[in-house]
Amino acid sequence: MKKYMRLVMLLSFSIVLSILESFIPLFNGYIPGLKLGLANIIVLIVLYKYDTSDVFFVSILRVIVVGLMRTGLFSVNFFFSLFGALFSASSMIIFKKTRLSMIGVSVIGSICHSVGQILAAILFLKNNNMIYYLPWLLLFSIPTGVFVGFVSKKMLAELEDKIDF
Amino acid sequence: MIIVLLKVRALILMNKNDIKLVLFLFIISIVLIILFKLFQGNGSSAFVYHDGVLVQTIPLSHNDRYVVTGDNGEVVIVVKDGKIKVDEENSPLHLCSRQGYISNTYESIVCLPNKIVINISNDELDAVVK
Repeated sequence: MKKYMRLVMLLSFSIVLSILESFIPLFNGYIPGLKLGLANIIVLIVLYKYDTSDVFFVSILRVIVVGLMRTGLFSVNFFFSLFGALFSASSMIIFKKTRLSMIGVSVIGSICHSVGQILAAILFLKNNNMIYYLPWLLLFSIPTGVFVGFVSKKMLAELEDKIDF
Repeated sequence: MIIVLLKVRALILMNKNDIKLVLFLFIISIVLIILFKLFQGNGSSAFVYHDGVLVQTIPLSHNDRYVVTGDNGEVVIVVKDGKIKVDEENSPLHLCSRQGYISNTYESIVCLPNKIVINISNDELDAVVK
């Protein structure tokens, strides 16, 4: 019970971050779909402090709640976010077992988020041209992934002795 | 160069594997970008899709203004000097009108809330194939 209280609190943080980052324009939209991925900070913390299933719990619920607030459930936007979130969550779970640190795992997560979104574009919009943007998204996923990983590492170190997860 | 890189690495708490991963991905994406650029050329026409259905074929050769209907209402498309952009649309974030002009093949503008996709191509056959 206490665990779920904490998880829901983290979930609400990630929802706020998700909405907050949509107000931060990166390169003024020249590359479609580019964003910081701040919500991944929370997903990373859950990944390192809770179980595998909780990672999916937080990321899927976040997509559903943000989807409800912004574009409505089962819209195209919703499936784009869902694909991105599922891809990044599962890839981070897999790569956590390797010798990568939290920052490397975060970079993997942000790259797989891009791959998931491009796949969603191909599946739902039948727009194969979107592949053209994949290398650009990959390139910019690296600094954003490092940034997000760095913030989560710092945050986890700060919270470690203040909160019992 | 390497010393600077090592210092930055220590500063942002990355380990050796992270650096390898970052460098690997960086090279991959640069190579892919160059490859795509090599195959890219100037587009001659744009295809506008709504919900996967072709609704308009636009030649990029002359300046004009087109209006197509998306899920949220009208989407105004402007062609100028062989380049195309979405000028006005109704969506929460206006991502597709902020993207600006595109003109090369393989580039596209996607307006998710309106379900409008604009693809650029240099052959007229594309429309028939799709």
